[in-house]
Amino acid sequence: MAAAQTEGRAKKSGNGGLSLEMKMLLPVLLLLAVLSFFPLFYIIWMSLNTVSLINGISFDFAGLANWTRMFTDEIVGAAWARAALYFVATVGLEMILGIAIALLVHELVWGKNLALSLILLPMFMAPVIVGLLGRFLTDSSYGLYAYVLRELGIFERDILGTASSALPAVILMDVWEWTPLIVLIVLAGLASVNQYVIEAAKVDGASYLERLRYIVAPSIAGVVTVALLVRSMDAIRYFDIITVTTNGGPGNTTKIIPIRLYETAFRFFDLGYAAAIGLGMLVFSILVANVFVRILESRGLAR
Amino acid sequence: MWKQYSGTTLNFISENTAPTAAIASNLQPFTDLTGITVNVLQLELGTMVQKVALDIGSGEGSYQIVYADPYQIVAPYHDALAELDEFNEDENLPSVPKGLEDFISTQLAAAGRFADENKLYGLPYDCPTMIWMYRKDLFEKYGDSMSQDLGFDPTPSASSTWGEYYQIAKWFNENQDEVPYGTGHQARQYDSLMCDFSNILWCYGGDYFDNEVVSSLGTVDPGPSTLDQPEALEAAAFYKKLLGIAHPGSVSWDWNATDEAFRTGQIAMTPNWHEFTAVDQDPAESEIAGKIGYSPLPKGPARNANMYGGSSIAINGASPVEEQRAAWLFLVWATSPDTMLMGMKSDVGGGTPTRRSLYELPEVKKEMKPPSDMPNLLTYDAVSEAWKPENIGLRPKIPSWNECDTIIYTEVSKMLADQKSPEEAMKTAKQYFDDAQSRARTLASRRMEVA
Repeated sequence: MAAAQTEGRAKKSGNGGLSLEMKMLLPVLLLLAVLSFFPLFYIIWMSLNTVSLINGISFDFAGLANWTRMFTDEIVGAAWARAALYFVATVGLEMILGIAIALLVHELVWGKNLALSLILLPMFMAPVIVGLLGRFLTDSSYGLYAYVLRELGIFERDILGTASSALPAVILMDVWEWTPLIVLIVLAGLASVNQYVIEAAKVDGASYLERLRYIVAPSIAGVVTVALLVRSMDAIRYFDIITVTTNGGPGNTTKIIPIRLYETAFRFFDLGYAAAIGLGMLVFSILVANVFVRILESRGLAR
Repeated sequence: MWKQYSGTTLNFISENTAPTAAIASNLQPFTDLTGITVNVLQLELGTMVQKVALDIGSGEGSYQIVYADPYQIVAPYHDALAELDEFNEDENLPSVPKGLEDFISTQLAAAGRFADENKLYGLPYDCPTMIWMYRKDLFEKYGDSMSQDLGFDPTPSASSTWGEYYQIAKWFNENQDEVPYGTGHQARQYDSLMCDFSNILWCYGGDYFDNEVVSSLGTVDPGPSTLDQPEALEAAAFYKKLLGIAHPGSVSWDWNATDEAFRTGQIAMTPNWHEFTAVDQDPAESEIAGKIGYSPLPKGPARNANMYGGSSIAINGASPVEEQRAAWLFLVWATSPDTMLMGMKSDVGGGTPTRRSLYELPEVKKEMKPPSDMPNLLTYDAVSEAWKPENIGLRPKIPSWNECDTIIYTEVSKMLADQKSPEEAMKTAKQYFDDAQSRARTLASRRMEVA
């Protein structure tokens, strides 16, 4: 009865106006709406204009010219293709390695905390520092990795300056930094797996792989999806490490869409076109997020 | 006259260059002279350009004094800069000491003007220029062997050719083990790659546009690009061949990394910015201090070309008029012979003057030979040759240069990464240049309509 009354007040007040709660929330909601929607509508308007910075910012309506250009621009198209490749490689590798490392750490009987602390270290570094570290280690004159690869006869060219190795190198830097996040999330999921069920399966003679497939995997599927969502959102706007290491080169082999967006906005100051590219990235992010939210919903985990 | 704006505070935004470091560390003489306080913000060039562009866009003019890179600031934003002639001719303001004629003429046109020779937007402030830096000790040690093997005198000079440079570099690769490679280049996919490639492009008779004023005064409409012409294709092919024997790290080096490789003994020679001399000749920073020789860059079939990278300082046209006039006092002071001399002597400075008269002073001439307290002057013989109108290398001064710069260094990088042949790279660059120009023309005509 009391709950029903509260629910009724929350929906509307007795005289048909806004409830007390809504009235109290309204200023904050309005502020949030202004903070969220004003930039969004502003950037949409920018994408429909040619923007000039001379003598103060000015707009010259260009209709859909920036959008048409974006869909026919082969440099932007290639940047999207590379971003997709980068996205699949980083998120894929991070998920595989992260889950594998988490399963191993979960099985440790002693030294678990020490191992976990060491594994998590890269995650606490700023991406720009990871980039600088990567650049240092792969430098062809004094870099450790470059030296080892050269001495082993595996790779003798400049790692970040060669088309075939630059993208794998920056992907591995990202994987090195963010796999620990997946480890952490998956470990949290593993901790919640019902140990009684595991013990019962062991008694019934289930092998490790069978327990993994039929008990552990379904139990951690939700958190793995959340981890996937978090890393996917990050991977779409990956910027720092590439800027510090390769600046998109050599020969554009590491120029993914956020790098092209930055270049268009803050190097060419073609702000109208940059707005269109940025909105394209936003739409893609929303679509990816929607896919994951639907997966979570289908498992009853979204609420 | 100098005290009329006493109490004013000005903001000077600059690239983190040697002259600005020197001025920032010794602003008291200016404050004593004018009563004006100047806040100096020093940033990496790209970040500085962004801040200036956004400040111009805001219409506020918060940075009254701007380090005006001719290609990234003056060309695209000249309409937002104050014209300096009216200040220089104003009887109530001090004029440029020794007159504008005292600035090196090629630098005044390149760094200070845009499109119209009667409009001055900036006063030349610094003048880094690419020259040939080489290990004098190694050339002395191996000179005879090289001469015997190669059949020519390898001593670097203005009459050396790029073909000879290639052979010398190859000789170092194959015949000695004191340095790992003969040559190294700033060939990262970055502005530095455009600078390095342009020297060779011009030497072979190629150019970005067939336009007489595009490289000196600059223009809004340079016409179609000429990067698809045979001379440009030949230059690109040679550049690829040269990078094939260069230190493999070259493809990920910008100018800082290239100089670091040179001063840590990784390479025997390199096309390098002359203002790195200060650090290269510092025994605390360099393994090769006292062992460096300087020459203008080699010549090609058409000419000798040495990339000029100087800038001016300018006044933000969006700032209030009184602040603009106060800023003029700073411009006059900062580019005066006395202040430039002070900068050369500064412990944190080490720039190179843009004034002719300074190079005639006995105390400056004395420093052109080692040992020198002003190490950049050790390059004077090379850079004075490089600054001659027939030898200076000036990139196009057009409003869309930032985009064109990105196009050329991306396509050359693709060529070096074996993704495109020299011909494909140059033809694609030409097509993209023309597309960028087409957009710039449309934008300019819309602005005209609005105006």
